[in-house]
Amino acid sequence: MKNAIIIFKKEIKEIAKNRSIWAPALVISILFALVLPIAFIVGADTLLKEESVSALFEKLFKESDLYESLVVFASKQLLVFLLLIPAMLPSLIAPASIILEKESRTLEPLLATPIKTSELLLGKSLTSIVPSFVLSTINFILLSLAIDIASYSRLGYILLPNLEWIIVAFLLSPLISFVITMLSLIVSSKSTDIRSAQGIGAAIIFPIYAVIGFQLGGFFLLNIFYLLLGCLFFLILCPLFLKIAIKVFDRENILTKWKLK
Amino acid sequence: MIIVENLTKRFGDVLAVDNVSFSIDEGEIFAFLGPNGSGKTTTLRMLSTLISPSSGKITIDGKDISGNSTYTRSIIGFLTESPGMYEKISAYDNIDFYSSFFDIDNKKRKDNIEKFLRMFELWGRKDDLVATFSKGMKQKLAIARALIHEPKILLLDEPTSGLDPESAHMVRSFIEDLRKSNTTVFLCTHNLEEASSLSNRVCIIKSRIIKVATLEELQNKDDIKRFEISLSEDALKFEDIIKGFKDIKNYNLADNIIKIDLKDFKKNNPEIIRELVKRDADILYFNEVKQSLEEIYLNLIKE
Repeated sequence: MKNAIIIFKKEIKEIAKNRSIWAPALVISILFALVLPIAFIVGADTLLKEESVSALFEKLFKESDLYESLVVFASKQLLVFLLLIPAMLPSLIAPASIILEKESRTLEPLLATPIKTSELLLGKSLTSIVPSFVLSTINFILLSLAIDIASYSRLGYILLPNLEWIIVAFLLSPLISFVITMLSLIVSSKSTDIRSAQGIGAAIIFPIYAVIGFQLGGFFLLNIFYLLLGCLFFLILCPLFLKIAIKVFDRENILTKWKLK
Repeated sequence: MIIVENLTKRFGDVLAVDNVSFSIDEGEIFAFLGPNGSGKTTTLRMLSTLISPSSGKITIDGKDISGNSTYTRSIIGFLTESPGMYEKISAYDNIDFYSSFFDIDNKKRKDNIEKFLRMFELWGRKDDLVATFSKGMKQKLAIARALIHEPKILLLDEPTSGLDPESAHMVRSFIEDLRKSNTTVFLCTHNLEEASSLSNRVCIIKSRIIKVATLEELQNKDDIKRFEISLSEDALKFEDIIKGFKDIKNYNLADNIIKIDLKDFKKNNPEIIRELVKRDADILYFNEVKQSLEEIYLNLIKE
């Protein structure tokens, strides 16, 4: 574990210097955790004057108060939006970490130290998963604060955190982050181009957009059942991708089969 | 100290290392020579447990390294063919990072970082990003990294490649000094002069081992020695004398010099001189010419 932490610390230092990784994540965070929720709620009355909007909420929430429906809907949509961070951040960090090692040919001297390949894999995984988890958690908290502060005076109760929030923040988000990290590490081992390896995040971003689109179209509304179903799906993928990643991270594989520049 | 027995490595259909056996004593500098693709780097990687052999065995201090890979890597310092440094962090942080994987206490580690960075004249640039370093500076930094935990065994893949003559000389002197600390050095190089000046023994490999011997043993191969006779007149005048000696395997007469490769010199040399003097040859010098490692290497590789 000590060696994995050494890797993690060094990589975090490097990522902190790499604006192309953290800048998009920061923009998404500010947009979806602060700007959009406040805009949604502050502009609620204007939005609800639109016939199509009120019709959507009547369809989705049946007999509820329209303002309350909009706030609940906004929270559900933005929770999904914030899943972009655990999907996107590992897909930016993991390939950068592997491909930069390939470019600078630092893997062989690193593997020649007493580090175990499991520690290397763990270190690289933590580098992706930890920032993603930390940023996501901050975002989910900011989202809660923004929605609650903006809506409390009219709702009269605190909407977030609720069970859906807890499932998304502490189950679905880390699971997505783990799966994308493993997938990105596997793909990066075979790639020499940082951009193509980073494209793996798109594989998960499209389903996220699809969920957002289906909710907007009034086809379904995210609930605990769907969220748990999503968790189960990613939970099944976890051991599968972990197994492949362990195989890819075999010392001999890294030196003889990984595609180098 | 290191015993390699019947080591073989196959990558699919390619036989990279074929049934290689040798042993290296403690404190010995062992040069490993061979053309590109001859299995040198693969052998180094097997010695450092980076890859495992298809068959055969390596023991270090009587321990089979296949079951002790972490320990083996902790006593080995490995200079890889490419320096491989993190370009976006400082020279100090690079060495600090790699050294933290070895079991050495913090103070000793910091002391060693300073010692080796000073030794390789990099201490003044320790806070600079490696990206700003020249190829030679990176190579020196990589050597410092390989030495940082004071390994018992040092595996060096082309240690002076990319270095200016002064730095290369410094690295060679340093390798020479390692004898005093009883460090075993496995030196992979294309620089035959470096191999002949530094090593106790050389091993010539081309997938299989062609020869393992000291430079002296290689030079005295088949008891044939090379001599050069300098005259004050045209050497061609004496070709008939040279032709008359059946123990002369090769000869060359150019200008005023006769070059001969000769068997049983103790018996033949006095006779050759007598014959030349009989013909009134003015002999200026009669020297033994040692074959260079380069000549020996090229002949062995050709064979």
